[in-house]
Amino acid sequence: MTSPETPDPSGPSGPTGPTGPSGPTGPSGARGTSTAPAPDGSTGPPRAEETAAPAAPELPPRRLGWQKLTIVPGMLVLLLLATWLWFQQADLDTLSENALADGQVSQALWEHVQLTAISTFFVLIIAIPLGILLTRRAFRRATPVAMAFANMGQATPAIGLLALLVIWLGIGRRAALIGIIIYAVLPVLSNTIAGLRANDPTLLEAARGIGMSPLGVLNRVELPLAVPLILAGVRTALVINVGTATLAVFGGGGGLGVLITAGITNQRMPVLVLGSILTVALALLVDWLASLAEVLLRPRGLDL
Amino acid sequence: MNFWEYLGNRHQQLLTDAWQHASVVFQCMVVATLAGVLIAVATYRSEWGGNFATLTTSTILTVPSLAMIGLLIPVVGLGVAPTVIALTLYGLLPIVRNAIVGLRGVDPALVDAARGIGMSRTAQLLRVELPLAWPPILTGIRVSTQMLMGIAAIAAYASGPGLGNVIFRGLASLGSANALNQVLAGTVGIIILALLFDAGYVLIGRLTIPRGIRA
Repeated sequence: MTSPETPDPSGPSGPTGPTGPSGPTGPSGARGTSTAPAPDGSTGPPRAEETAAPAAPELPPRRLGWQKLTIVPGMLVLLLLATWLWFQQADLDTLSENALADGQVSQALWEHVQLTAISTFFVLIIAIPLGILLTRRAFRRATPVAMAFANMGQATPAIGLLALLVIWLGIGRRAALIGIIIYAVLPVLSNTIAGLRANDPTLLEAARGIGMSPLGVLNRVELPLAVPLILAGVRTALVINVGTATLAVFGGGGGLGVLITAGITNQRMPVLVLGSILTVALALLVDWLASLAEVLLRPRGLDL
Repeated sequence: MNFWEYLGNRHQQLLTDAWQHASVVFQCMVVATLAGVLIAVATYRSEWGGNFATLTTSTILTVPSLAMIGLLIPVVGLGVAPTVIALTLYGLLPIVRNAIVGLRGVDPALVDAARGIGMSRTAQLLRVELPLAWPPILTGIRVSTQMLMGIAAIAAYASGPGLGNVIFRGLASLGSANALNQVLAGTVGIIILALLFDAGYVLIGRLTIPRGIRA
């Protein structure tokens, strides 16, 4: 959770240059901020003409290689197949059977998916508008305060936050959901702020110069340019939420954590392993889907 | 019993837990830093190797910590072992990624100059490249530490050491007068530890980042 939760929070914190999401190479990071507009300007329009031409063989390169499409699902299928085969021959005692009977496994899985989806939805509708608001001129002074707050929040352990909410709101799904949401809002918020701030100011100046309204600049220049970072934020939120949702069990919120904790407290390894493997598979699947979305949804003008 | 009375009564126990929490995180960070920098040094020169190291560690980070601990228990049992292994694995990613990015970002002209004045490959690495890559590595260490603080709390469920035990004791006695005190003491304790570590890293940065590249 922070669970490891935080695959990308390291991006916005500290020296963003080297750790930024702009890729593993330092030089490209530097290029991204200063000279990126030039290549975009020169290659963008010609490509557009190419696509308009009847024969456009160069359109597909979406950087979705076959490896990206096959490796993760292949590994997941193998993992689940191996687990299934292992379960075919494992002899379960009554305790394990009771813990796994009556569709409890699929129920836990479904609850976990629901917890993740609902919490991610709320994280996004809270964090992204708030990030946009905090980078507007009127509120810009509040940004450092918000960022400092976000950094503080990252030091809070997810389980402690959840436990406090359970005591405050009572045991149940609501407390778990609120905990998951609070926990993921801060990383996504700082991602959005970092993304909007990294936009080249000369582009915004140019947009204003050709007479765009502030709303026009936001909708047609700033947000499209920040889409990659916002999508990275979505991915971060999903991965964090899948992880925090395993803790929902401690607040009575269900999810795959039920199987894991049942396995640990009853010392029934098959239950524990099944819960863990399903959680791992779900987390990797969600991360993979989000990475596909990152490639498919980013504006084509930003493809290098 | 209000919160301050609780702290007064239990401060011995809480201090022991806090000490164990800090110590397990610190030890795992030392191992993760050494391993992470070594992995980065071994892979940063090849495009494929560096990307593979980053991809592998980020996949590990995607795995929820409770599930990782759950997978480790059948192999190594309950207690300190799964905690230490999980913490070290999770600590790797930010360090490996930042070290690779930092090492790749070193100006090739500087490395060339170092070779030109007759430095061996090891000397180039130790005296030129690693010092220049140190600030991003230190950032990675800070990010890792903050993350491990929270994961160590969860590891208490598998009988790991630390302040997570206080939180879980509170959760187990929901409704009792002390539940809130315990959860609050554990959570605030972890936040304080995280901030103390962070302050320590700022100090380490002041002392160890070469003057020439200080921002």
